[in-house]
Amino acid sequence: MADDQVTLTIDDQTVSVPKGTKVVDAAKSVGIEIPVFCYHEKLGPLGCCRMCLVEVEKMPKLMTACTMDVGPDMVVKTTTPKVEKAQKGVLEFTLLNHPLDCPVCDKGGECPLQNNTFKYGPGDTRMDFHRAENLKAGPLSPVITLDRERCIACQRCTRYSEVIEQDNALVMHNRGFNNEVGTFNNEPYDTRFSGNVIDICPVGALTNSQFRFKARTWDLTNSDTLCAHCGCNCNMTLGVRTNKFMRIEARPNDLVDDGWICDKARWGYDFLESKNRLVEARTVPDNGTMVFSSPTTQDAAVRTAEAIKKIVDEHGPESVGFIGSPYGTNEELYLYQKLFRLGFGTNNIDHKTYADSPGLPIDHYDVSEIETADLVLVIASDPTEELPILDLRIKKVVTRHGVKLAVLNDQATLMDKYAHLSLRYNIGSDAGVFAALTAAISGEGMADIKTTGIKADQLKSLVEMLRASKKVTLIYNSSALTGQSVAVLKQLMAMIKNIPSIECGAIPAVPHTNAVGAMDMGILPDYYPGGVPVADGEAIQQTWGETAPTQPGLSAMEMIRKAESGELKALLVYRANPVVDFPGGKQVEEALKKLDLLVVHDMFETETAKLAHILLPSNGPGVDDGTTTNIGGRVQFRKGGLKTAHPPDWKIISLMANTVSEEGDGINYITSFSVTDEIAKNVPGYAEISKKSIKKEGMTRVSSASINATGAVSKESSPPKPEALKLRIANYLFAHNTILDATSTLAHHFKPSIVHMHASDAKKLKLKNEDDVVVVSGDTQVSAQVEISNRCNPGGVVLPNISDEQGVWGLANSRDSVTWVEIRKV
Amino acid sequence: MTQILFHNINKKNLHTLEVYEQEGGYQGLKKAFAREPDEIVEMVKASGLRGRGGAGFPTGLKWSFLAKDVFPRYLCCNADESEPGTCKDRELLLKNPHLLIEGMILCSYACKIETGYIYLRGEFYDLCEIMEGAIEEAYAKGYLGKNILGSGFNLDIHTHLGAGAYICGEESALLNSLEGGRGEPRMKPPFPAVQGLYEKPTVINNVETLCVVPYIVNNGAEKHAAIGTEKSKGTKLVSVSGHVKKPGNYEVVMGTTVREIIYDLAGGIRDDNELKAYIPGGSSVPMVPADQVDTPYDYESLQAIGTMLGSGALIVIDHTVNVVETSLRLASFYMHESCGKCTPCREGTRWMWQLLNQIQTGQGEAAHVDKLVDICDNMSFKCFCPLGDAAVAPVISSIQKFRADYDELIEKLTANPAV
Repeated sequence: MADDQVTLTIDDQTVSVPKGTKVVDAAKSVGIEIPVFCYHEKLGPLGCCRMCLVEVEKMPKLMTACTMDVGPDMVVKTTTPKVEKAQKGVLEFTLLNHPLDCPVCDKGGECPLQNNTFKYGPGDTRMDFHRAENLKAGPLSPVITLDRERCIACQRCTRYSEVIEQDNALVMHNRGFNNEVGTFNNEPYDTRFSGNVIDICPVGALTNSQFRFKARTWDLTNSDTLCAHCGCNCNMTLGVRTNKFMRIEARPNDLVDDGWICDKARWGYDFLESKNRLVEARTVPDNGTMVFSSPTTQDAAVRTAEAIKKIVDEHGPESVGFIGSPYGTNEELYLYQKLFRLGFGTNNIDHKTYADSPGLPIDHYDVSEIETADLVLVIASDPTEELPILDLRIKKVVTRHGVKLAVLNDQATLMDKYAHLSLRYNIGSDAGVFAALTAAISGEGMADIKTTGIKADQLKSLVEMLRASKKVTLIYNSSALTGQSVAVLKQLMAMIKNIPSIECGAIPAVPHTNAVGAMDMGILPDYYPGGVPVADGEAIQQTWGETAPTQPGLSAMEMIRKAESGELKALLVYRANPVVDFPGGKQVEEALKKLDLLVVHDMFETETAKLAHILLPSNGPGVDDGTTTNIGGRVQFRKGGLKTAHPPDWKIISLMANTVSEEGDGINYITSFSVTDEIAKNVPGYAEISKKSIKKEGMTRVSSASINATGAVSKESSPPKPEALKLRIANYLFAHNTILDATSTLAHHFKPSIVHMHASDAKKLKLKNEDDVVVVSGDTQVSAQVEISNRCNPGGVVLPNISDEQGVWGLANSRDSVTWVEIRKV
Repeated sequence: MTQILFHNINKKNLHTLEVYEQEGGYQGLKKAFAREPDEIVEMVKASGLRGRGGAGFPTGLKWSFLAKDVFPRYLCCNADESEPGTCKDRELLLKNPHLLIEGMILCSYACKIETGYIYLRGEFYDLCEIMEGAIEEAYAKGYLGKNILGSGFNLDIHTHLGAGAYICGEESALLNSLEGGRGEPRMKPPFPAVQGLYEKPTVINNVETLCVVPYIVNNGAEKHAAIGTEKSKGTKLVSVSGHVKKPGNYEVVMGTTVREIIYDLAGGIRDDNELKAYIPGGSSVPMVPADQVDTPYDYESLQAIGTMLGSGALIVIDHTVNVVETSLRLASFYMHESCGKCTPCREGTRWMWQLLNQIQTGQGEAAHVDKLVDICDNMSFKCFCPLGDAAVAPVISSIQKFRADYDELIEKLTANPAV
């Protein structure tokens, strides 16, 4: 037997577990339940509730199974009269001043206190005094209700705040019997991850204000689903009653979320019942040729396909295009690219405005690889705002597993606090830094990095850190890089891999839900699914047939430009909102207006949808089934929950495909998994993905073949005017947009528009804190308030995207180079 | 009677460095520095000194448990003297602060510690000032700081005032409090000797314990080991309170009988009343009826009669007292001082107080007493730290040994509810 295994006996059963396992977990591993309240495997032992007392041979008194490590030949007994008396005693104490208002308690039916009482407790109480009275239902935050009478002071929530969130926002107040959970100065407990305390509260003390009194837990229909807000794809349970959304809870999957979800996952689903939902197909009546009367979605789909086909026939396949979404499922995106490539013969397919291409020169790491690394290198990513669960995971490994963290970014993030080394380059200098780092690792010596804002010794420290590491997990956000610097970054990755002692992998941390899936499904003008380049005619024809187009198509931004010039006649926009989210703003809107046919297939009446000739409704997450691929390359099933009469997107798309299928050999998919099976067949890397294989905890797909990245550092652009500053658009988790609209439960997180600038620039421009300014680029202006800080180096500004209305992307001309802005006082 | 701590305690201005040195103070340092640190540990082991804070754990052994080769290490002097009835450390801090500093220097040298803290209960504000004055004097004279007396050994000592919680006298809660956290006990293991203050090896000793160390170093382990009984070596400061004529702190040789302490040293019972019971070691230990007054005052003899020497606070109760009131007062103390971390203590101490209060105020029934006994059983050895057991001790012992007092109160009040 291995040295790190310990064998012991629990209730006459022999148990063998790794050294360091707690007795309570060892028991659990062989199906013996030892009741607990305060113990939670993610929080570690505390030993305060005393519920888990057991008898251990040779120990004079009862021991708490949750604090005790297993020992060799230990003999544990969990059901002796002594233990049972202790359990009854502890439960009597626990219930002594508990209100027993289970009939009106939201936790009823899924309450550990209720369950343990039934199983281990005394049938009655001997408490003759009035039970203590305390705060009955007060707001701990706008979304969490605190009932201090029900609290059993197990400290799970406060320890979560201390150990997991690590900001100690929630603490115990007072002493002894007056112990209570609260915050400093009674401020609201409104962190990004506050909602997890509801899930881990073993009583009904912390409840979800949104769910309060809405349903009894046993009346809920629960769907095991995924969050659709970011690329983490956290696992969650969607509770539905009478086909109405009720609540969301975390559904632990250590490989993805480590058991937690962020507050946007828990409370960011009001959009399911938003007034802004697109629920039926529509056409714009006064648009000349394209008039349909009250079409059904199916009708509209058929006619959409016919209309696009007609344009293809008249103007050629290059006159139509598709802008997809990194928020769609693999199935939806797969079918759309297939429709446009095979049905319409075009590669004018894209889903993004930043540069990136499939494939990595190093391994694509699963999120859990962060735990086994000894260095995590975060590049241009702001996990806290972009991929929040990654924030918790990084904090955990840095503070509890001794993993080192290095950060390379153009803006300050909350990760800096945990970083052993944090380097801040000038906005727009990313490629220069990556190239310099590559050169330094290769031994070519230190390049001139004066203009990057990073000092030579800082870069040297980073190289040393890298060289001293055995396993590096690199987390990078290509959507936050400028120009083509992602290619330079990939050269850097290849160089790190060349250090012989290093095992290295990367997590492409683009924030969007299925950004990895969108790349894998070939929603790109120059790659077929699975990262097959359009130039690879042989491979393409083998899978996709003779007619599959092999000329590179137009990128999303090129399609907008060709729409403007009139060369692109028809565009189908799927769950994207170019008017707001693409660089260009007003110009994008003007370009789209020039199209002969704009079809928008979306869940919402977006700004882009307002311009559409045909609107197709999309059910989206919470309703439709499908798979998504998270930032770690893990494919998981996102089940629907709410029922609807509207056809799912995959059906709408396949109807379009069948309409234009020349041979009439359309495929009738039965469920979304029929499409998944086709993906497994046709998409390299997805061969093992099936309903069965991803059922439990998902499965990582095989990353595209490694590539030889080529990219050169382009010359940095010079300011159009001396006072111009470089713009960095930052993400904010709770931005006010179509997903979190004005009625959102999370509206209390909305923020005003702030422009962060360095003190030296503020001084030059004679600006001070809280000055009202406009950020100007060309004809576009964005209002904001000045905040002087070290968020970025001198010469730039950071403008967080806090709402659609704010319109920050209107400032950017393109993603080809950095955007220069002027700050004018108003 | 041999005295090693109090022989000069009332000497005028003993708290000043000048007088302390005149009395032979700080002589131990040179003797210690001439030896290897481990030799001092062995010496303290051989002296038989046991912790004077309450648990009576052998001091030298405790020092030798420090995690090997892990530095820095810390020394925490537990001056959170909060046990009801106990005021011995207070007298040492007030009148002989340099003795503690010398003890801390010797302990730190023996254990290779370079930082020491004196954790004083919040109410010891004035003593903290005295202590700080003494520390300042010691620094000025080179007894503290860098390269003490040219030995190459460094030591800094800091004081820290608590915020008024009894639980912070429990060593791990003391560490939490010292680190700026909530005064709640920590899980053990890891023990402080392995992971204590700031997760580093830490020695925690009571004021009195540390004050004995200079005597041992100056006079040799044998001299100390020669005092007292076979297993309880040396002398003990006893804080005598309650119904005696001369309450106060007395230093006695281990093994002196309780009778001698009460009748010879403390002048006997007030108004020459009859002794009813005594609590030998502070409120946390079981009370003892008068017929066991001839028990020798040492760790083993007191343990043999089902109680403990504890912190050395002898609380004397005369025949005019109904022990229900004693229990009620102590229950009230423990309810107030329970930190609330663990369920049985948090809920149990309050429930016990509620029941005792009910009995005391005339709403009691015999069944309530039985319920109390069972509550005590449900708390005993099931709480997170010894505070829970401490809360049980006076109540359960008062019921076991003076059940008649309870019955009398219940009957009397049942018969005449108006009273």
